[in-house]
Formats: sequence, structure tokens, C-alpha cells
Amino acid sequence: MIKFIEKIEGEAKLNFSFDEHKKIDFVDIEFFSTRNIEKILENKPALDALVINPRVCGICGHAHLIATTKALEDCYKNIEVPNNAKILRELTLNFEIMQNHFKWFYLSILPLLGERQHLLKATFPSQILAKAIAVVGGQYPHTSYSLVGGVVCDITVMDILKITHLIDEVMKYFEKNLLVDESEEFLNYKNIENILNKDGDLIKTLLKFKQNSWQHLGRSYGRFVVFGQNSYFNSGKSIKTTVSKNLNFANIKEQTNQNSYAKNVTYKNKYYEVGPLSRAMLNKIPLIKDSHRKYGDSIFSRILARMYEIPQLLNHSKKLLDELDLDKPFYIEPKIDISKISGSGYGCVEAARGTLLHKVKLHNGIIEKYDIITPTQWNLSNGTKEKLGVSQKAMIGLSDINLAEIVFKSFDVCSVCTTH
Amino acid sequence: MKHNDLLKKFNLRLEELEKMPRMDQSKTITEVIEEKGFSRREFMKWATATCALLALPAEFTPLVAKAAELADRLPIIWLHMAECTGCSESLLRSDAPSIDSLIFDHISLEYHETLMAAAGWQAEENLENAMKKYKGRYVLMVEGGVPIANEGSFLTIGGHAKRGKDIAIEASNDAAAIFAIGTCSSFGGVQAAIPNPTGAVGLSEVTNKPVINVPGCPPSEKNIVGTLLHFLLYGTLPALDAFNRPKWAYKHRIHDLCERRGHFDAGEFVEQFGDEGAKNGYCLYKVGCKGPYTFNNCSKNKFNQGTSWPVQAGFGCMGCSEPDFWDTMGTVGEPLKDKLYNTVFDGMGADATADNIGVNLLIATGVGIAAHAAISAIKHPKGDE
Repeated sequence: MIKFIEKIEGEAKLNFSFDEHKKIDFVDIEFFSTRNIEKILENKPALDALVINPRVCGICGHAHLIATTKALEDCYKNIEVPNNAKILRELTLNFEIMQNHFKWFYLSILPLLGERQHLLKATFPSQILAKAIAVVGGQYPHTSYSLVGGVVCDITVMDILKITHLIDEVMKYFEKNLLVDESEEFLNYKNIENILNKDGDLIKTLLKFKQNSWQHLGRSYGRFVVFGQNSYFNSGKSIKTTVSKNLNFANIKEQTNQNSYAKNVTYKNKYYEVGPLSRAMLNKIPLIKDSHRKYGDSIFSRILARMYEIPQLLNHSKKLLDELDLDKPFYIEPKIDISKISGSGYGCVEAARGTLLHKVKLHNGIIEKYDIITPTQWNLSNGTKEKLGVSQKAMIGLSDINLAEIVFKSFDVCSVCTTH
Repeated sequence: MKHNDLLKKFNLRLEELEKMPRMDQSKTITEVIEEKGFSRREFMKWATATCALLALPAEFTPLVAKAAELADRLPIIWLHMAECTGCSESLLRSDAPSIDSLIFDHISLEYHETLMAAAGWQAEENLENAMKKYKGRYVLMVEGGVPIANEGSFLTIGGHAKRGKDIAIEASNDAAAIFAIGTCSSFGGVQAAIPNPTGAVGLSEVTNKPVINVPGCPPSEKNIVGTLLHFLLYGTLPALDAFNRPKWAYKHRIHDLCERRGHFDAGEFVEQFGDEGAKNGYCLYKVGCKGPYTFNNCSKNKFNQGTSWPVQAGFGCMGCSEPDFWDTMGTVGEPLKDKLYNTVFDGMGADATADNIGVNLLIATGVGIAAHAAISAIKHPKGDE
């Protein structure tokens, strides 16, 4: 049975097969459009990647920009990047992550649960967050404000005030609409039961899952990985609850698919889940760990982890703002011009949907090879019956394909990124 | 056309539209806007701004307001081709107080893959139904380039694996007006950059119907909404430049109305990012701003509800609303020295019908740039170490 999944910035085809009990025993995931961005980058001057790569994706283009910058900077053996620039890059990336979460919840998940589509509930907070990015980066989507050696903007006290105000507004919105809670405590909850007696769209959705006994649906391997270490996210991998910190980019492998434009990704030959749930597991967020203990890596945990990341990131963003030192530089010109650089580099960040990796090889400042591995590739790898991909495994055993679609979308799928 | 004639024409057009049935019978746009807490006064303020944007005199404001209120009379079909959804993104966060987004929320986007509730087979059927039902009346908005290499197999959509190219042609055939939203659907976009592996081209290359290009990567929400309102008011295609871009939006260079223009004229330049000049907001030409070669109204409108734009942020313009900007606008961070004599129409700019004053101004600018570029070649120490 074939189902088409839309509203994922493109389209995916899911081909389900069922066993004798009418339960899904395999799902083939196919993507049919590609733009071949990696090919386009070849033989172009290195800095052109800063303008081309954000255009890989209209909803997480900023993550692509920062990953590109980092990959190019990695080609220099030692380059000085001012602390202010690092802070601003993290900040704008946080804003992009959060605005994706809001849209995913209101535009992708709620309509699947039979709710009316609340377009404005999704666009209101994402407008504010896009504005916050624009204060720093000039525009959103598709800013190119970050480049090798720092960022181009010079932030003033006025800008910081503006951004602080925008962060507060989003926090207010979250507390009013998603998790209605008067207390300051809601960032530190340790127990699922603490939040289920509250009000708000997030809680209502979670309760709906409980009422339908869906809270265990969509479990996969329980293998998580996070590569994009920064001041907030911890990198590492976690299998069930065993955490290991030693990761090596060289163990990441990409394989092409015969019937789809998307490529599969493994770490040490195994499929891993990336995204907010993985990040929460590695950051040991008590509430999410509790959800994982009770319901595993189910859709319930994924939805909670993704939305609960918003207040955490808002909080952290405010701290980052405080760390800006306006007397220090935002850009330091690299000592060697990029046209004299040969070598290769990795750039890795956490995007809304999980770990995003850019690999670049330069020869005298010209791109020889460029490789992009997107989060959705990790989660949506199209494995075989013997070795299922993360989302495939999560859909196996269900009998209702509409439920399977919810499970599929709980990974927050982005089709343009997947095939780039 | 004289003002009075134009007023009369608009009135007739709007009367005609008013007679048409609303797409959604339950609520009018006026009601939706009021319901969301916007006063009439705020709505009129928005209409005044939009009126100015469309280069109409202030007395046309009530008509613009009325056109916005009648926007739900037009069936709209929005197609996604090879793209990144950035244009829809731009639209989704149109102006706050979000009157534009309210209008777009409520007008009948008969088919929009990102926004509509239907999906899969149902969506495909909706598209076919909409095209049949509103034959010859719907406005077609296309986002994304059309890949034509390998017989168009780089993009197939829906259960029947229809090629993007065929859908685009089919939908264009019966449209009342066709807008190519964004640089991809106008000129092929980023995927059309050399070597253009998927053979992506602009919509106008695959259909023989007239296409209005609204380029920009992404185009500002104002230009998208403005193009629609323009069609509502006039019922005809707007005045276009040589690249089929509406003149009301793409008549001027970024450079012409740039907030840093004074520094350009005074010869004050940022020599490298992060220097004193950058702190003082000097002109970004020498660090690669392509504003003098790019036709768009960003310097007036800015992005994200007027928050900022690339030049304000300090990066400069990338020329994203020009054809093939990836390949023709040169290296990032470097001024476009050689470009001077190779702009469209041999340096006359995209607007071939510019009057003499315009041409003279342009030449003066050109000389200015050439002089500065020469200085730049000597002064800029990059690469000497």
C-alpha cells in the first residue's frame, strides 16, 4: 500500500507492506526530487558556498550557513574566530531551531490529530523569531551574515535590547499557548505527571496520546547520537541510557539508494536517531529522561522533547546574550587568504531536526568536493528488512497507516534537505 | 493613463470582482481581520503603506483596501517545483500586524502543498479539481525552478508520478495570470548554477504563456502580496522590465536608495569586514556588495517586517533577484570590477526604456564604481601576505 506524505517541504512516498496479521512489516521510503547542490558546489570558489548552501533549505538554511562556515574554517589549521561571532552564530541558530519547532507542531502534527490547522498560532512565534535572526543577520530566510573569520554585523546595545524583548515575547507566547504554567518551575520538572495536569496545546496533545493509549507508539532502536557540540548541546551517543562521548566523523558512512534520491547514513554501520530527543537524552533533561524511561523513544517522547526544547533554548539564549562583549571584535580577518588554502574540513551543527554535517575539500581555495549529510537522512534512512532504518523500525507493527504517518512526521521530516 | 481614468477602471474592476462569489462563504476578509483584533484604522494604515508600495497616489488607498477585502474572490493555485520552500517561508511571515498573512490565510489558496490540510492522493485530486473548476480564472503562483534534464525526471509529484514540468505546463495553460515567485521559478535559481545538473529553468522557459517574474531569494513578502493586489486592481499584467519583473518593485537598483549610499558618494568604504569602516556603517561595495547591479526594492522595504536587510547587517547585496546570480555576480566578498561593462543591455541596466535622466545617472554611477574599484585594487591588501 502506498501513501504520499506531503507538507514536508516536498514529498515522500511510503510503500507499506503488511504481514498476515495486517500489521506493517516493512516500509519503503522514497524521495523523488533532487537538485544536486553538492555537484553545483564543485569547482566554485570556497566562499560561494556561503551563499549557495543556505539555499539548500528554506526552513533550516541558517544551519547550513553555519555548518558551511565551520567547515571552511576547519580547513585552516588554526584560525582565530572571535568569541562574539561564536555566540551570535549559536544565537541565530537557536532562533531558527525554535521557529521550526513551532511550525512543526501547529502545521504538521496537530492537523494529523484531527485539529483545525492553526496557521497563525504557528506563524506568530516564528515571525518573532525570524525577526530576531534578522536583527543580527539582515534577513530570514537565507541570510549570509556569517563568514570565515567571524560575522559581518556589529551588534549594538540597542540590538541586544531588541533581541531580549523578542525572546521574552516568545517565552510569553509559549507559556500562554503551549504549556500554561504560572510557576518558574516548569523548566525543571522531573516527572511527566507534573505537567500533565496543566493546560495548553502541548499538554492537550500529550493527553490525547494517553487517552488513545498511543504513548508507546513509534518506538525505534533507542539509539541516539548528537555531533553538534556547542555551549548548550552535548555531543555523544547514547544507547538506551549508556552514554559515550567518543565520536569520530570518519565512522559516518553514506550509501546511495537505488529507488530514491535520498542517501542512507550510518555510524559504525548502525542507524541512529538524531534530533531533539537525542539532544535531550545527551543533555540529561530530567523531564525527557522520565518520559523515555516510561514510554521509550516513542512519538510521545519525541513531541515532548521537541517542544520542551523551546523554553530551554530561550533561557540559554538569554545567557548567551549576556556573554557578548561589545568592546571585542566580531570578525578577525584570517591571516592567510582563502585562495591559498588547500585541505579538508568538517562543519557540524545541531539543526532543528538534528545533526547536520558538512564536509569540504579545498584546493587553492577552490572546492574540489562537497558533501552534505542532513538530519533527515539519519532518521529516514531507507534500510532493508534485515536492517531497518530508524523511522522504518518505528513504523513496523502498526496496522493503521494514518498512525504510521504521525510516527513518520514525529521525526520532523524535511524533503528538500534530505535530497538536496 | 490619467488618475481619473485609472480610478474609474479600478472601480469597474472591483465592482466586477465583488459580484463574484467568495471562495469561503463563512466569513469575509473584513470579519477575519476584525476578529483577530485589528481595528479599521490599522487596516487602513496597512492599505496606505501598500498603496505607496505599488506607486499609486494616496487617493487610491480606499481602493487598495477594497481590493484586499475582495482578495477571496480570486482562486489561487500555488505549485512547488525544485526549490527550498524559502518563498513560502517569506510569505508565511509577512507583515506584522500580520494583515498580509491574514489575507493569505483566508484567501482561497485552492492548492498550496505546504499550507493546505489535504495530502497525497487527496491533494492531487484537489489540484485537478481546482484547475477544472476555475479554468481560465485562477491565478497560478509557482515557486521553484523546473528541472527539464533527463526528460524532467528529477522532480516527480504525486501518485501518478507526474513530472513537475508537465504539471507546470498544464497549470499554466488555463491560468488567468501566472506569477513566478522567487528567483528559482523566475530564472532557474540556485539549482541552475553551473553545471546545472538537473537542467533547472525558469517557468517562462517551459510555458508559452506570459509569466510575471517576482524574483528574489527569497522575494520580500511585500512584493508577493503587492503583485497579487496589483492584479486584483488592474486585472491586467503590470508594466514589466526586460526580465518580466513588475516595474513598481524592480525599477530601481538596490544602490539607488541604499541607506549607505551617502558613504559611497563620499568615497567611504569598508575595506574588510570588522574594520572601523564597518563599525561606522560605510559602503560595502569593496567587500563585495552587488547592490549597484541589482534591481529590487529591498533598500526601501527591508525584510522580516522591516527589521533589517543584508546591507544593514553589513554583508552587502548578493544580487539574488538577477538572472543566474550564482554564476554572473562573481565571487563572494569581492567587488564586481569587470561587471561594469557587461551588465544587461551593455551597461544600460535591465530597464531598457529608462528615460535620459535615468541613463545619465546610471553612467555617472558606473564611472564612480570604476574609479573606486581601481583604488580598491591598490588599497586592499588581501592576498599580499
